[in-house]
Amino acid sequence: MKELLKELCACNGVPGYEDEVRHCIEKHVAPYADEMITDAMGNLLVFKKGEKPRKEPMMVCAHMDEVGFLIRRVTEDGMFKIVAAGGIDPRILVGRRMEVGPQKVPGVISLKAIHLTTAEERKQAPGLDTLYIDIGAQNRKEAERYARVGDYATFDSRWVEFGDDRIKSKAIDDRIGCAVMIQLIQEGVPYDTWFAFVVGEEIGSRGAKAAAGRIHPRWGLVIEGTTAADIPGVAEHERSCFQGGGAVVSLADRGSVYNRDLVRRLTKRAGEEGIRWQYRASMNGSTDASAIHLAGAGAQAFGLAAPVRYIHSASNVLYWPDAEEVLKMARLVIKEAECDD
Amino acid sequence: MELMETIARLTAANGVSGDEFSVSAVAAQLLEPYVDRVETDHLGNVIGYRSCGKPGAKKLMLDAHLDQIGFVITEVMEEGFCRFIGMGVDQRMLLGSELTVLTRSGPITAVVSCIPPHLQNPGDNKKSVPIEEMVLDLGMSGEQARQLVRVGDYAAFSGETFALQNDLICGRSMDDRACFVCILYALEQLGSAPLDVDLIILGSTKEEVGGHGAKARTYVDRPDYAIAIDVCHAKTGDSKPDDRVSDLGGGPVVAFGSNSIPLFARRLVEVARAKEIPHQLEAVPAHSGTNAWAIQTVESGVCTAVVSLPLKYMHSPVEVIKLSDVRQVGRLLCEFVKQFDGNL
Repeated sequence: MKELLKELCACNGVPGYEDEVRHCIEKHVAPYADEMITDAMGNLLVFKKGEKPRKEPMMVCAHMDEVGFLIRRVTEDGMFKIVAAGGIDPRILVGRRMEVGPQKVPGVISLKAIHLTTAEERKQAPGLDTLYIDIGAQNRKEAERYARVGDYATFDSRWVEFGDDRIKSKAIDDRIGCAVMIQLIQEGVPYDTWFAFVVGEEIGSRGAKAAAGRIHPRWGLVIEGTTAADIPGVAEHERSCFQGGGAVVSLADRGSVYNRDLVRRLTKRAGEEGIRWQYRASMNGSTDASAIHLAGAGAQAFGLAAPVRYIHSASNVLYWPDAEEVLKMARLVIKEAECDD
Repeated sequence: MELMETIARLTAANGVSGDEFSVSAVAAQLLEPYVDRVETDHLGNVIGYRSCGKPGAKKLMLDAHLDQIGFVITEVMEEGFCRFIGMGVDQRMLLGSELTVLTRSGPITAVVSCIPPHLQNPGDNKKSVPIEEMVLDLGMSGEQARQLVRVGDYAAFSGETFALQNDLICGRSMDDRACFVCILYALEQLGSAPLDVDLIILGSTKEEVGGHGAKARTYVDRPDYAIAIDVCHAKTGDSKPDDRVSDLGGGPVVAFGSNSIPLFARRLVEVARAKEIPHQLEAVPAHSGTNAWAIQTVESGVCTAVVSLPLKYMHSPVEVIKLSDVRQVGRLLCEFVKQFDGNL
């Protein structure tokens, strides 16, 4: 699954431009899928027959998109001005490498040299409105040969394995969810299951709405990469979750209240199976569950995530053993979600 | 010489000011084919000598520094993180960046932590985070970290050299490794042409902390003339009209002022004109910000000049230069050396 994640992270999928990610996923699931639908929004819906049918549908969901940028203007001197697609702190952008447009032209975001700035200037963080991507073009005409207004730009952040089983890359949020789902499709499921690889989560769970609107699930499982704030200077109670703690189980966030019966039942089972899990001790953020649990007559949703540091930056950091616990937990949810019915 | 490849090789080596031996080894290898002999001294300076074979010949030193800006680990923390300070780095380009920590067991990757969004208050993202408040994530336990990383270890920006459009290349440590490659290019162009001066090629250390390497070497080698080849600021999209900047692609920048002696500088410009080498001029009233400052006053003094390679985004992990400028700087050095008889 690690190789799979690596391949997925190397794909670009800024909201609206998820095609490359979808094609990569299609390649890996096509031989195992019983039905594949690419819908009007660009979601990839994969039906996998289980050993047994399910009375009502289950939808497992991960998003293909990553936070990134769209080009909003090309300046006379050939620089690309950008606008964020998804929540990005502009302070993480300076000094980063980027890929611009369909040709993935390399570029950089930087600032003029420290020698040309004052101490006072260096205390201010430049906003996205003052930053630009430089691909080395000499003027607007030349720059537009590579990318135009509306094209995407994203981080060019190499995959590095470092420290104690850590991975650094862009877009681990939420390619980790995609990788887990591909793995599940490939290994097979005990009950019929829909796997929805969706678009536009980062701008408001747009794809999940349409996917759930088609599938009308009774059970929803969302697999995410979630903020692990387990870094020095952050109080214990504000860390949300921590690396090494295993799969992160949500109780509630700004978009959803997860089904408490499912949470209680499945975490108990997880404990019996020796799966490492932890609660997401935070109400912040929102996931595709917000769209799924309100679809049709309503679904019971379970929120599962890998604890990832520095999501929404060029350097997402994942502790690999946590990813394996997420996979085990996802297996358990698919197997046992409806067993009391 | 394959310029991009040579620059990539030299910038891939680590050499934060004060510990340049890794990059010195690469520089010595690259220099070796072009000179009579190469030495590496106890400071990590790399020195190549090419004699003209004429008794009493004057000595001309061409200097480019090998050290790079970097960071020093100041604390190894309980949870497997480090605190660090920067040497010549703008704190606004660090959050979320990848650094290489140079431990006694070798280089390891680490990431500068970002502030989780749920812990930010409105307006926080308008203020830069002081470097003292940042932490470096080593991705390991405190115990593992304490075994591997020590207070005082260096760190540097990560990332390899890559190409942008229009003959531009980008990466860390172009300052000043690209200028060492300018000198190599000049030597290659020079071939076995007869000279009237002895050449001393210096790949110097500790420039970023005050030019210590060049100073020591000037004392030992006693050049009569020295040209410091270093980078200067090229215009960027956020330059102000009054920023002292040159044009990327405009060729070598020849400085004029007390530290780049006008008589010497004028000769360089004359050669550029005669050989139709595109070039630019720069007024530098006092400290040039290069090794020429340290070299000039050693013992009884040295006649110094400064030739610069235009560079965008200096001291960032994404410094940008233009390969044609590297060639033009190299050509200017080559043509100057060819015709220089030791008298201005």
